[in-house]
Amino acid sequence: MEEKYLNIKIKLKRNNEIKLIEYKYKKRTHDERPMALDVLLQAQEEQYDDLAFRYGCRARNCGVCTIDVNSRPKLACRARVREGDILSAIVTLPVIKDLVVKRDGITRQMKGYNNIPKKNDLNEDANKLYHNLTACIECYACLDGCPVHAKNNITDIKKNEAYKYGNPYSFLKIQRLLIDPLTPDSEKYKLIDKAKRLGLDIYRREYNSLKIKCGVGINLKGEVIKPLLDAAYGDEFEKENK
Amino acid sequence: MNSDNIEYLDCDVIVVGSGGTGSQAVQAAAEEGLKVIVISKDPMSSSDTKICEGVITVRESGDNTDTEEALSENIKLAGADLPDKKITVAFANDSKDAYDRLRVNGLRPSINKEKNKPKTLAIAMGGHNKSRSVGHKNSGVAFGHTNWDTIIKYKNVEYFEDCWFLEVVKEETEGNKGKDIKVLGGIVYDAARGKVLFINAPSVVIASGGLSSLYFPKTDTMRGNTGDSYALGIKAGADLLDMEQIQFLPFCLASPPSYEGLLAGEPSTASFLGVLRDKNNKVILDSVYLRTRAECSEAIMRAVEDGRGSPNGGAFLDMTKNISAPKSGKYFMKYLKSALPSAYNNARQALGKEAGKAEIPWEVRPSAHYSMGGIRVDEYTRVIHSAENQYEPIFIKGLFAAGQAMGGLFGANRLGSTSLTELAVFGYRAGKSAAKNANQSFKNKNYDIFHEHYFNFKNLFNKKGKLKPYKLKLDLQKKCWDNIGPARTEKKLKKMLTYLDKIEKDLNNVNVPEEMIWNQQFIDLIELKNMITTAKAVAIASLKREKSVGGHVRLDKKTSSLFSKPYSTLVKINKNNTFEAYKLLRQRTPLKRIINYKISEKFRFMKAKILRILPESISDKIIENKYKNILGTDQITIKPGSLDGAPGDKVNQI
Repeated sequence: MEEKYLNIKIKLKRNNEIKLIEYKYKKRTHDERPMALDVLLQAQEEQYDDLAFRYGCRARNCGVCTIDVNSRPKLACRARVREGDILSAIVTLPVIKDLVVKRDGITRQMKGYNNIPKKNDLNEDANKLYHNLTACIECYACLDGCPVHAKNNITDIKKNEAYKYGNPYSFLKIQRLLIDPLTPDSEKYKLIDKAKRLGLDIYRREYNSLKIKCGVGINLKGEVIKPLLDAAYGDEFEKENK
Repeated sequence: MNSDNIEYLDCDVIVVGSGGTGSQAVQAAAEEGLKVIVISKDPMSSSDTKICEGVITVRESGDNTDTEEALSENIKLAGADLPDKKITVAFANDSKDAYDRLRVNGLRPSINKEKNKPKTLAIAMGGHNKSRSVGHKNSGVAFGHTNWDTIIKYKNVEYFEDCWFLEVVKEETEGNKGKDIKVLGGIVYDAARGKVLFINAPSVVIASGGLSSLYFPKTDTMRGNTGDSYALGIKAGADLLDMEQIQFLPFCLASPPSYEGLLAGEPSTASFLGVLRDKNNKVILDSVYLRTRAECSEAIMRAVEDGRGSPNGGAFLDMTKNISAPKSGKYFMKYLKSALPSAYNNARQALGKEAGKAEIPWEVRPSAHYSMGGIRVDEYTRVIHSAENQYEPIFIKGLFAAGQAMGGLFGANRLGSTSLTELAVFGYRAGKSAAKNANQSFKNKNYDIFHEHYFNFKNLFNKKGKLKPYKLKLDLQKKCWDNIGPARTEKKLKKMLTYLDKIEKDLNNVNVPEEMIWNQQFIDLIELKNMITTAKAVAIASLKREKSVGGHVRLDKKTSSLFSKPYSTLVKINKNNTFEAYKLLRQRTPLKRIINYKISEKFRFMKAKILRILPESISDKIIENKYKNILGTDQITIKPGSLDGAPGDKVNQI
């Protein structure tokens, strides 16, 4: 006979205080294998109406419900939970409350990066690599383990400021524009310059030990970081990695 | 609340919403060099546009004989003559340029090298009288990137997320024809920083989406669709049009909970031999593939009403006959998997292996998908409020609405792939109109009126009542499904209005803490209030719609005849501060077209009937050939919400 309940721990954060609560999830069918989001929704309904968490489409498309499940970033809507699992906010962005993090420091660091003239002829095909990158749903799972993003100060939630250092997402945006057939060659150096200003050289130093994982399976190291390093540092980078 | 928490800002244009419509409005206003502030409650561009199927209507994309007139008329007929002709004309005129603008912003379709233009879907999308639907790799996510890139492109655009737009601040004076209303800006709750923003601006664009969360979890859309657009609009004095017209997709998942509401299939998924059954295994609808979405929803909801529904309040979509047919059976699986891949995956994951092979029936239930009604605007998206006479429009100076927030474009039904065009066309028009108005306006420097407006919200913090806003929200969602859902009766609608009066009183007894940073109860309360306002508009508009038409099904009334005079419903707040509904007569399509339609409809059902009464060996052979024809093309795609998905919905196609 299967258990009727699942005991899940949820880490709350309010006014700089952290509290671990235990929620007894009531399974709705005997064989239910709930997702983390199901637990949060039921906890809010049954016990904690002030529980703060994000969600959107419930189908792995919108990228807003990312949380840590046992300290690993997962999309809450498609992460199955087991007895004793711990749900908490991702650690790579500042927590506003409970499981909600402030995300816009990344948006702000990219302001104007794409303000470049486009060629007139729109009817050019983008290649497969380009479309591989637009599969990104901006879930920010890739921030985990990124040595560049780790250099940012992520404690302040009171200011709407841009992060100084980049992350796999911001570099993905740059790389996508770099391989866009409509970006004129004369503009590409600006994009590479932007990548450098966001701390691209940190990847260069730590390339071999770099472990970053994409939430939807994009090859970030091979299709974002490596080509950017090649474009920015060319032969030097090739030599280093022989 | 301490006044230190108020931040005073000013700009030329406020855009509420950062999805497809919002980003287009931002571009249009920012290009004019104006200062724009974007307010978004969800993370930037995480909207319905991002999670949609990514197919967009582009005039002339597939067929050189396509014209502005053909497209405009197509939209109007599909909407059962409820759409405003000036708006459908604007849609048709701008659709090509609007799409190119998205491409300049980074949207990359596959290119047909021979014709030197974007590739259209292999099969012309159902309902459209020309091939003009362009699909995209990564579906809506590709549009999400484009929208994101558009908003951050301009230096003169400021962006605030985790911010709830509370109210349009306006000034009212007595005019010649009635009240003159002028926009002064807006009040915003910034949950991330625990502040209230007073934003002085002569123009406000409402681009904050739809209402499907009224029915949560019976919806396949984003959580944030709490009717904010309509509530903001009507409270600012605007008329709302056709609010009863909500598109429900009939075949969505009813279980397990994590998948509840998501799309499983369309009427066409049922294929030639699929039927709907109740819990007693009795067929409640045959020839499912030829039925309209509304007919399917109606059959399911009638069974539920009679206590013959499935365990989770739906019915069973039985496709087993398709698979067991000796000759045609082997083609069916290929058809099922390739016709609507994302929906098929949802169903297989949620319902298991056997269901994935269509060996057992699928439990299905309708889900809310799109609101065709909305804020009354003209073709430049200028928001309208009518005085005494609803035929005499007066513009609210400085207020604009576009995208799912607006009404008057789709009326009673929406063709597939048109909503992405709607946002690109009217989002941009809204930005331009807002910019023009801002350039012609004097800037208000006074914040006194903001304090007056804010007074009501200030009192919502620190309430010591007993009720939880979140619980009330859940209760409202359940009541919306039961009473103003896919199948309605006069009795239910009146019951809903009584309930809404009660829940409004309950708002006085809620518990909301004082804290300013991410006050979840305050957020839930604000969204609840918007949902109540919107639900009221839906209920009142539904009562004014005397017969079933388009997305609106009345169990106690007949289907509207094509010969009856078409009208839009109009809801507004009257002098006594109560909601009132009116009729707005629309122009009827010429009789000849209607008769042509009637004949084609009869013919369609006759063919289906013949297929059913023929001996199995013969019908199997006919079906086999039909599959061969469909699957013979290099690719078949049926998009959710399209008329391909429900050939029966071609009710108004002539």
